[in-house]
Order: sequence, then C-alpha cells, then structure tokens
Amino acid sequence: MSNLPTKVYTATWSEHPVWKNLGLSLGIVALLLIYIPIFWLVLMSFTGDPLSGFPGNFTTKWYFSLGEHRNWLQPLFVSLAIASGVSLVSMVCATIVGRTVSRLRRKAMAVTVLAVTLLPLAIPGVIIGTALFLYFRVLLGFKMGVWSLCIGHFVWAFPFALLAVLVVALRFDPRLLDSAADLGAGPFERFWTIEFPLLKDGVIAGGLFAFLLSFNEIARSIYLKGRTETLPVYIWQQAASHSSHVVLIYSLNVLILIASTLLVGFAFRLLFGKNTQ
Amino acid sequence: MGLSTLQPPTKINLKGIVIFLLSWSFFVLIPIAGLLLWSFLTMENFRPVWDLSLQAYREVFASGRWEVTARTLGIASLVTLLEIVLALPFALWLSKGTKNMGLKITVLAALTIPFFLSLSARTIVWRALLGLHGPVNYALMATGVIDGPLDWLLFSQFSVILGLIGPYFPTMVFPLYLSINLIDDEMLAASTDLGATPGFTFWHVILPLAFPGLGAGIIFTFVPMIGDSVVPTLLGGGHVILLSASVESLLRILNYSVAAALSVVMLSIMVGVILVVSLVSTKIITSKSSALPEVTP
Repeated sequence: MSNLPTKVYTATWSEHPVWKNLGLSLGIVALLLIYIPIFWLVLMSFTGDPLSGFPGNFTTKWYFSLGEHRNWLQPLFVSLAIASGVSLVSMVCATIVGRTVSRLRRKAMAVTVLAVTLLPLAIPGVIIGTALFLYFRVLLGFKMGVWSLCIGHFVWAFPFALLAVLVVALRFDPRLLDSAADLGAGPFERFWTIEFPLLKDGVIAGGLFAFLLSFNEIARSIYLKGRTETLPVYIWQQAASHSSHVVLIYSLNVLILIASTLLVGFAFRLLFGKNTQ
Repeated sequence: MGLSTLQPPTKINLKGIVIFLLSWSFFVLIPIAGLLLWSFLTMENFRPVWDLSLQAYREVFASGRWEVTARTLGIASLVTLLEIVLALPFALWLSKGTKNMGLKITVLAALTIPFFLSLSARTIVWRALLGLHGPVNYALMATGVIDGPLDWLLFSQFSVILGLIGPYFPTMVFPLYLSINLIDDEMLAASTDLGATPGFTFWHVILPLAFPGLGAGIIFTFVPMIGDSVVPTLLGGGHVILLSASVESLLRILNYSVAAALSVVMLSIMVGVILVVSLVSTKIITSKSSALPEVTP
C-alpha cells in the first residue's frame, strides 16, 4: 500500500480507491448469489446425476425424458391459460387506470388512486392469499379453482402492469388530443388513432410483465388453487416432496427460464429501447 | 355546429376508472379489511361465530406462533441489514462511480430479469449446492478448511438467510440507485470545492438525499420477505418455520380466526415499520439539511 503513488489531494482515508472497488465487489457478491443458482440450474439440467450436486457426465437425456413423463403438461396449460387471461385483463385495466390517473387534475385524487391500486405491492403474498381465501371460500362459500387463481394473480400482476403503462402515459402530451378534437376526431377515434399507438409499448410491456408474474406465482396460488394445479405449484410440490421426478424439474425449469428471459428482454426493449436509439 | 355543444376535449371519461375502483374494492380492499373482522371472531366447531373477542389474539401469543413471528422478524431484519450493507456501496458505485452507460444498463437489466424468473427454480438449486455431499462442502474439505461436512449449511437458518439475500437484493438496490442518481454531480463537486472530505460529503450530502431511497428499499425488501413462503420451505426443510408456513398450517386445520389474527399482527408490524421508516427519513432529511449551513465553511 505504501508503495502506491499517492496524489497530493488524496490525503484522507475516505478517498482511497478501495471504496470504489468495495462498492463494485459487494455488488458482484450479490449478483453472484443471484446468478450462481441460475447458472448451476442450467449445468445440472445437462448432468447425468444432478442429485449429486456435481456437474459431469453431460447428457441431454433429461430433456428427452420430459417428453416421456408428461405430468407437467396439464399444469403447464393451466398456467398458460391463467397467465394469458390475467395478462389480457391487466392490459385493459392498466390502460384505463393509467391514462386516467396521469390526467387527473386534482393531485390528491391521483395519489389516492395510485396508493389504492399499488397497495398489493406492499402486502406479502401470504396475507393477500389468506384474505382472499377467507373472503371467497369461507365467507361467500365459493369453490376455489381457476377463477380464484385468476383473481389472486391479477391482484399481484396488475400494479406492475399499471407501472409499465404509467411510464409511457406520463410522457403523453394531452394537447395532442386537443388538436385531434379541433380537427374533428370523435372520442373513440382520438383514443384509437392518437393515444393508443403512443401508449401501446407500455401496455404490451405491462401485459408481458403480468403474464410472467402470473406464470411464476406461488405465494398466493397455494391458498387459492383449490384442486387446480399450476406449473410453479406442481414444480414446488415435486421439489418439496423429494420425488424421483425431481431430476426432470431442472430441465423443465431451464426451459421456463429461457422463455421468461426472452419475454423480459422483449418487454424491456418495448419500454426503454426507444430512448437509447 | 355551435361552440356550446363542444366538450372541452381533454376532459377525461371517469366511467371506466370508477367501475374499476369499485370492483377493485370488492376483490381486494374489502377482503383485506375483512381480515381485521375475522381476527375478532371466535371459532366454534370449525365455524366462525359472531361473537367478538380477543380469543384469536390470545391464541397467537399463547401458542408457539409468537416465536415464529419473532423468528421471522429476526431473519427478515438481518437479511434487510445485509442487503443495505451490500446495496448502499454498490448503488453509490452504480450511480456515481461509473460513467460507462452500457455497463450501467447491463447491470440494471441483470438485476431486473431474475425478478420475473421462478423463485422456486432459483431456490431449489441451493439444495444441491449446500447439501452434505454437495460441491460447497466438498470444496471446503478438499482445501482442508474443515475435516467433515458441515451439516448446518442446508436446512438451517443459515441456508434460509443465504437463499433470501439474492432474490431480495434488487429491491434494495433500485430505490437507492434512483435516489442517488438524482443527486446533482455539481452538488457533490461544490461540496468538495468547499473543502468537505468525501466522508463528510457522503454523510452530510449523499446520505440525507438518498434516505427516501433507503426507506423505500427497506420497505420493498423487508415487507415481502416477511411473507416469503418459497425460500423457508425449500431451504429450511421444516426446521425453520416462518410466518407464511404458520398461516398455511392454521388454514389447513380450519383455524380461520387465528390465521386472520396472525395476518393482522403481520400487517400491523409492517405498517409500523413503514411509519417508523418514513418518520425517521423525514426527520433525518430535515435535521441534516438544517444542520448543513452551520457546518459548511
């Protein structure tokens, strides 16, 4: 340390380059904690004996045996159906709420609407799950199933879709609508030809986020699923039960990871890609 | 066409949002508020009875559930603290330490993508890594750090804490990054020009201005962690029971009012944390900024 050439003004310990490196290295530690499991998951999916925890004997046989043991297909279709429905409804609702909130004249009203609609972001899934279960199942006496999963997932996914729409809705200049009206466009035409094309990217990105959040949801699904099985719940149960199919979970998860990553990348390009061009 | 028939064009139709908010209250707000009511009901023969009492709360405190609450809060606080230690220097580096835009965007994307990936998939792998015969134990033994495999690496508080750090790191970094990024570079330069040491600048300029971000980070990290069900189940292996598993077991034995009471206890703790965090951050911001003119030369 004493051999390092020291500049005149770096007299204090707090200016030592170690602090800059510290920030970077701590971030690398955290990123490793995030990405080592993902990397290891991919590695294990190609390993002959994944339960040992060591890579080796590389093979693609687990991917092929996914085609033989098709128990996961039914949960996959359920998850896809729910995620598509939730995503579609989230897009419509987020567009309605997003474009209205960004143009409300009274700030207090906008803040209240946002606080109420973004509330589920700050409430753990267990509490939402319990609340919805007690309300629908015990109080109102409905049987849980796909519909209750849809509601639970929507409550979780909608705030994110709304945030994505707000990113573009807050950039939208309402004077464009004034000009359109001056030129004789009706309310629907104004929305469809002027406003929607400008909001579209945020809406689609919000829809993709909603799809992924619903598709991967576990915390609320446990309470709301009734007898229905979604793919994450199926995988979770297989993993927790130490069943012999646990090896297939690695390859299945890798396929889901790849699909999810592609969708996220696409959503981000829609949301932020145009700014950097 | 007479001008009087023209509507002001930017006037927005409120019908859609009103319908949405009504259904939102029916599907979300009323059920959440209903938890409070449930928690005061008494259970008789697995059925709730309209007999308001504090019975459910007494049961929460009398049974082992209180320990579960304390354990959950302890683990969540510890992990939140670890996240601050990891994320604050990192956010500082990310917003002020590097000028490389491509690197910044890559890091931000790397932090965002895992959020949309299945948490159970990312958590299951720790089992293979940390197991008795797993690579971590093998590496430690091969290098002679330990003689026999460590049995506390998996299915212990350690593995739960380790498993929680990764998934809850981005929620701490993002608010911190956003708030530090908003600080004007010229303000930091001015602070240095006026003779402040970097430590002084950090303590009296950056930290007070980053405090809203820190508060938001604490809320977005601590709050969902309290209710996390995936990590403690998969990595606790039944040895580390946290609140979510406790609520789930209560619902399974149809003890609805105690489950509701436990949820209300959780909610109150969270509201408490949110209040304390926002109070402290407003106080720090006002006291620091009022103290600043006196100490700057």
